[in-house]
Amino acid sequence: MRAAMATAEVDDDVLGADPTAVRLESEVATIMGKEAGLFVPSGTMGNLISVLVHCDKRGSEVILGDNSHIHIYENGGISTIGGVHPRPVKNNDDGTMDINSIEAAIRDPRGEIVYPTTRLICLENSHANTGGRCLSAEYTDKVGELAKKHGLKLHIDGARIFNASVALGVPVNRLVQAADSVSVCLSKGLGAPVGSVIVGSKSFISKARILRKTLGGGMRQLGFICAAAFVALKENVAKLEGDHKKAKMLAEGLNQIKGLRVNVAAVETNIIFFDILEGSKLTAEKLYNNLEEHGVLVMPEGPYRMRIVLHHQISSSDVHYTLSCFQQAFNGVHEENGNQV
Amino acid sequence: MVTRRVDLRSDTVTKPTEAMRAAMATAEVDDDVLGVDPTAFRLESEVAEIMGKEAGLFVLSGTMGNLVSVLVHCDTRGSEVILGDNSHIHIYENGGIATIGGVHPRPVKNNEDGTMDIDSIEAAIRDPRGELLYPTTRLICLENSHANSGGRCLSVEYTDRVGELAKKHGLKLHVDGARIFNASVALGVPVNRLVQAADSVSVCLSKGLGAPVGSVIVGSKSFIAKARILRKTLGGGTRQVGLICAAAFVALKENVEKLEGDHRKAKILAEGLNQIKGLKVDVAAVETNIINVDIVDSKFTAEQLHKHLEEHGVLVMSKGQFRSVFSIVNHPFRFARKWTKLEFVARTK
Repeated sequence: MRAAMATAEVDDDVLGADPTAVRLESEVATIMGKEAGLFVPSGTMGNLISVLVHCDKRGSEVILGDNSHIHIYENGGISTIGGVHPRPVKNNDDGTMDINSIEAAIRDPRGEIVYPTTRLICLENSHANTGGRCLSAEYTDKVGELAKKHGLKLHIDGARIFNASVALGVPVNRLVQAADSVSVCLSKGLGAPVGSVIVGSKSFISKARILRKTLGGGMRQLGFICAAAFVALKENVAKLEGDHKKAKMLAEGLNQIKGLRVNVAAVETNIIFFDILEGSKLTAEKLYNNLEEHGVLVMPEGPYRMRIVLHHQISSSDVHYTLSCFQQAFNGVHEENGNQV
Repeated sequence: MVTRRVDLRSDTVTKPTEAMRAAMATAEVDDDVLGVDPTAFRLESEVAEIMGKEAGLFVLSGTMGNLVSVLVHCDTRGSEVILGDNSHIHIYENGGIATIGGVHPRPVKNNEDGTMDIDSIEAAIRDPRGELLYPTTRLICLENSHANSGGRCLSVEYTDRVGELAKKHGLKLHVDGARIFNASVALGVPVNRLVQAADSVSVCLSKGLGAPVGSVIVGSKSFIAKARILRKTLGGGTRQVGLICAAAFVALKENVEKLEGDHRKAKILAEGLNQIKGLKVDVAAVETNIINVDIVDSKFTAEQLHKHLEEHGVLVMSKGQFRSVFSIVNHPFRFARKWTKLEFVARTK
């Protein structure tokens, strides 16, 4: 990636078009089966632009999961910045929302004097907060049909869409066929330093380009960032399957530790959530500190819950080491004054 | 067949140098959202120090720098900002402070030298007693150097006076300092002195300083802490951003001293162009690296001139029917052969 960045062909992407950016955008659009693409510096900007372009009229509402990244982790930007009203619908444990619940949340146009106007449905695939769960092509298609039936657009937050595609064994363009737009992260499991690409129709993308500039995302010679993203796309999709296997292995190992519980069946991609059981002497905070002392970093998600995410720079040896650190933390639980129990 | 290209449209066209590419290839990086990217941190600290402010924040563009700054100063609904009617924020940023930020603009006439009359600024400040009808003025924005008037410099005395006015009325002062280094060099005033009165400044590294991407905004620690969150909200929370910052660092270290040369070349070119019958340049107004050229021979339009120049590999920017803009910038592969350029133009007449 560094080599690609050092030699990338660049130009002013605002006054004209940066050739490397153009190449990346075209490539991702082709892979995703959409007309055009636009490089953006973050997944947050990708989702923000997509929602705002679909909901460009004042008084718009978007249906999305109550446990979705857009709703929980993007500073409420679609509202605070974009003036779009969110209508959250309950996310099931598998990342889906019940089709009936989605339909019930669509505003009846006859109530327009009191209602905002529903314009968009957002899905997230893979769904992060439920543990990297994959939405099937069939489910996505059903939501797409529902959207069409009511004249709505469908956007997929596909930050980890390649993980979902690999785990399901479904080509990524088939997986997002029903979507009007998709936001794809290159900076996560694919390993690029920066960036996402949003894809959609030509007209969608040309509006997105202007909104990107308005938000301050109109970068000049950005080709060298795109060059690194290109390498990520070319080289690292193939490594995702390995990440999923390591995640499964680690999940199974963790689940066997007394004091921990993992829903192993729910580990479909590269994310593992685990719970520290009641009665255990460890809290998430103590476990976090213990692991950190051994060089293992995980993410706390509450007093008794934590998250692990695998990626291609974590080796099998790292996974074994991690497991042994956990085992040691639980089996050799130390009392407060340092004596082994 | 054109073998030589001189791109004078803007100083944003600068391409990264070998030193920048080398710096990018070896930059130390980390996730700037989960924690802190060390190279970004170094750049932000350096720029803050140079500008004499407490802290800095790297942003992806000048537009984002201004948008974040205005929105942080005007975080309460119902805010108004006073700015020049010919300022970059008002004309070239998609009206984002309003469409995205919900801030109401109050444009005041820009004079030809880039200033706004102090009296006019004061007259535009909303009387709090009219709050039932008025938005609340919270911020004044200046632009230094002022692009649309031809890269004109606001003096430190003027900036200080606007700062005093702001303080008197409990307002903040933001300086759109996209080309603040050009102004500093042209005026012979250290940049930290020049922006001393400002609460925040947005500084571009991707223009005359030549970095491929980016600006840095500077201000107080609390301003920057809020700015960081807003930057994320807008989608500017980039991960291993140190790669970009490394190039910007090189720009800062190596290219500030080249600005004086750009100004000299601009002056030479301006004088030469002004001597061509059919063209008019206010040479005295060429203070930095931008030249506004008017076509006074009405047989010619800017469009025709552009086409002719383009055929010879010279690119300039159109500003209306009879005005062109030449932006001089030290380009790694440009030769300082001013006379050749003038020959081109002379031949077109």
